[in-house]
Amino acid sequence: MNVKTLKYILKRILLAIVTVWVVITVTFFVMHAVPGGPFMGEKAISAAAQAALEAKYGLDKPLMQQYFTYLKDVVTRFDFGPSLKQRGRMVIDIIADGMKTSARLGVVAACLAALIGIPLGAVAALRRNRLIDKIIMVLTTAFVSMPSFIMGSLLLVIFAIRLRVLPANGSTAEGLILPIITLALYPMAYITRLTRSSMLDVLGQDYIRTAKAKGVSSAKIIFGHALKNSLIPVITYFGPMLAYIVTGSLVVEQIFAVPGIGRAFVSSITNRDYPMVMGTTIVLAVLIVVMNLVSDILYKVVDPRINLE
Amino acid sequence: MKKILALVLALAMVFALTACGGTTTPKASEAPAATEAPAEESPAAEEAAPAEEAAPAEESTPAEEAAPAEEAAPAAEEAAAEEPAAEAGASSIAVCLASEPDTLDPALNSAVDGATLVSHLFSGLAKWAQDDSGALVIVPDAATELVEGVENEDGTVTYTYTLRDGMKWSDGKDVTAADFAFAWQRAASVELGADYGYMFEVVDGYDDVWAEEPPEGAQLNVKAVDDKTLEVTLANAVSYWNELLAFPTYFPVREDVVSNEGWATDPSTYVSNGAYTMTGWNHNSLITLEKNPNYVDADKVLMDKIEFYLSDDANNQLSNFKNGTWQLIDDVPTNEIAALKADYPDEFKVEGQIGTYYVCWNVNEQILPEGSELEGVDAENAKAEIRNAISLIFDRNYIVDDIAQGGQVPASSFVAMGMTNPDGTQFYQTAGSSEDFDGYYNVSADALEDNFTQAIEVLKKYYDYDETTGQFSGFPTLTYLYNTSEGHKAIGEYLQSALAGIGITMNLENQEWATFLNTRKNGDYSIARNGWLADYNDPICFLDMWTTASGNNDVQFGKGAHKDVAAYSLDLTDLGLDVKVENGTWAETYDVLIKAIKGCTDNEVRYELMHRAEDLLMSTGCICPLYFYTDLFMLNKDVEGFFSNPLGYKYFMYCTVK
Repeated sequence: MNVKTLKYILKRILLAIVTVWVVITVTFFVMHAVPGGPFMGEKAISAAAQAALEAKYGLDKPLMQQYFTYLKDVVTRFDFGPSLKQRGRMVIDIIADGMKTSARLGVVAACLAALIGIPLGAVAALRRNRLIDKIIMVLTTAFVSMPSFIMGSLLLVIFAIRLRVLPANGSTAEGLILPIITLALYPMAYITRLTRSSMLDVLGQDYIRTAKAKGVSSAKIIFGHALKNSLIPVITYFGPMLAYIVTGSLVVEQIFAVPGIGRAFVSSITNRDYPMVMGTTIVLAVLIVVMNLVSDILYKVVDPRINLE
Repeated sequence: MKKILALVLALAMVFALTACGGTTTPKASEAPAATEAPAEESPAAEEAAPAEEAAPAEESTPAEEAAPAEEAAPAAEEAAAEEPAAEAGASSIAVCLASEPDTLDPALNSAVDGATLVSHLFSGLAKWAQDDSGALVIVPDAATELVEGVENEDGTVTYTYTLRDGMKWSDGKDVTAADFAFAWQRAASVELGADYGYMFEVVDGYDDVWAEEPPEGAQLNVKAVDDKTLEVTLANAVSYWNELLAFPTYFPVREDVVSNEGWATDPSTYVSNGAYTMTGWNHNSLITLEKNPNYVDADKVLMDKIEFYLSDDANNQLSNFKNGTWQLIDDVPTNEIAALKADYPDEFKVEGQIGTYYVCWNVNEQILPEGSELEGVDAENAKAEIRNAISLIFDRNYIVDDIAQGGQVPASSFVAMGMTNPDGTQFYQTAGSSEDFDGYYNVSADALEDNFTQAIEVLKKYYDYDETTGQFSGFPTLTYLYNTSEGHKAIGEYLQSALAGIGITMNLENQEWATFLNTRKNGDYSIARNGWLADYNDPICFLDMWTTASGNNDVQFGKGAHKDVAAYSLDLTDLGLDVKVENGTWAETYDVLIKAIKGCTDNEVRYELMHRAEDLLMSTGCICPLYFYTDLFMLNKDVEGFFSNPLGYKYFMYCTVK
């Protein structure tokens, strides 16, 4: 790794920090501009009770002051404050709870997608235009184009209601099987297609032909050269994909009642639970920024031809 | 070099994959243990065998000591504890009421699902129960009896309760009268700012606590005379006092327990005194209650363990009900109701719930035709007449039978069905002045045509009417505001089409919940969807929300331009009260009436006053009741001994599962 690369990484980290700061600022002010408040319900509380609660949580202060206090707490103490809706719980604990499930779900689904997707893609490429390739392509097209709520409901009806082999709620590890499959199908199909096209591309390269001409065994060509090089786009896709599954599993969490971060995020917005909205936004933003950063750097590392400037 | 790096990376990935795969293995082992129902019938149970073998081994370790070690651990432990329990014939039930409750602190809770949980966990002075005939009654729980109050010279009423012997908290300490006194002071306090703090409004001293400048040491007039005796003084006698004692806000909590602000969020710090203790709370997922051996009536509690699963997705709830995992679900998808009624006739349940679904007008909305010369009182009376006429156009039977489909009852009054007069008759049946029907208009299907004709005649007085097309012109365009939901939308669309039939244009606008509440509260709407559920069986909880200063006065009575509209009359002299107002404002009439009701000690007079208040309210036409709510849920037919109360709380402690 040379100085140029280091400088680039440093620049990207700074940029990431700025990005997160912008996200915090925009979310903070937009959130407070949205009508409604955390202490509203079908049955209104008295003005005095409302005032007492606002004073308790510092919501009576000027908005700018709230903003700077918040920023200071987050930066210096990593303190996201208490939840306004789930009284007595700290935002960081709620996020940690949700993240634990979502991360488990996301990582397993992502790994599953890669584990199945890469071999499938390779097989499809090597057996190009044969029956097996066509079957794989039809299936992956279906999985890529089918939205997760349909796939989820379908799996739910088949495995949880008709066959009754798996639970319909994600409160247990067993209950996470269906959501994981639902989540994994899209990236799996995508990885398959990615691997296939990139492998086809690599197989047409001069150095493969040279290797063949030199009499290198086909196993060595496939595993030693073709597959390895065709994984570059997959590796770079993996990071953002992981962030996407972890953060974007809301629909799946809803269908299977999985206690993940997505549900917590959406309900915090509906509830106007300001500290929860901020906390989840920050965590998700950091996750996405970091994953993108990592994948960009990996990109450079695995393919030196790419210019990072 | 680069190739080696790439190879290393590829290897690292493969390793990561195996590692990921690896982490799932131990997780899988805890799975079959924690989900009990499907394990029995699923082929997966075989794979789970090693885990089950492992379970009894774990069980031999003292489970109590190890309590909340790590998130994953309690799940396995619970499961471990569950296996031997099942062998001993212990019963358990799995239900789903809603998603994660905002709080399980009895004082802070204001949700129906939270109230159900809290009612299982705590024991107040009184509780809801079924008598031998199956009728719901309020019976003493922590108190030896529900005593009559003694009236003091200043009109206040003092109740002295004796606590039962042998009551203990789940951590073994004694329950004392001081715990009740502390809990009530806390629940009513400004510092706590609880949604239901106003439930203590009837207790002497509440007004001081909430005064703008509270006097030094202001608190409720409740005190512990000794460990077993609790004395509370009410500002005046109220008929629903015993019911309040069974309300979660009145449940006791212990000072040293609640001094930890997060006490109600974790089983390890959650100390209760009721039929159950909380043994597990996997946030957003599952709350487990187990029978409390320290509860005085523990021998009467039949259900050993209740699992409250947390999901607010009606489709998910239904899936888990259909496959037998959950025995009760409290939410059903609206579009499935018809099918469920047909497919599960014994399990689809409709229970009464005291509440009204209605449409409210903004009293300040201009609905007279452009160029109308009516002003002031005349304009207000005309608007009231028009709004009441429009109310007659809607076919409530259609709404109930074809849209809501949940056994709801067409409503002709605002105070809901289920509210009773002192003699036990229904309040809504004695509302209004007509002998021929209940309430303020006839909602029977036969009367629809007459109602319609009547409405047209009234509207003709104010708007141009085309006899051939049956259309009015000149009615200002309305916008119906509702919160985003398929059910509300369907009703909105019906109202829209009914009005379009006579030439009135009403646009639909939906807003997300919190925004909707804000808009409606601020009166930034012309006509809006609304609903109200009772907190206790007394019509006042439907009536005092319409006073000028009330936070629930969505209609904006007495606010804005309506503040100076002197269009209302009130004469209470025939009831022996010195109140006679002609052409008074809302504040001079309705507010005065509500105040009179709250200070009235004669129950007969009080109910007559409440009828008068509803008469006045309905005369404005601002409230257009559509139907009385019902509580829909699915209950597995193997479950016996279940009951729910009119507030929607569900009771599982006396349940058995066949």
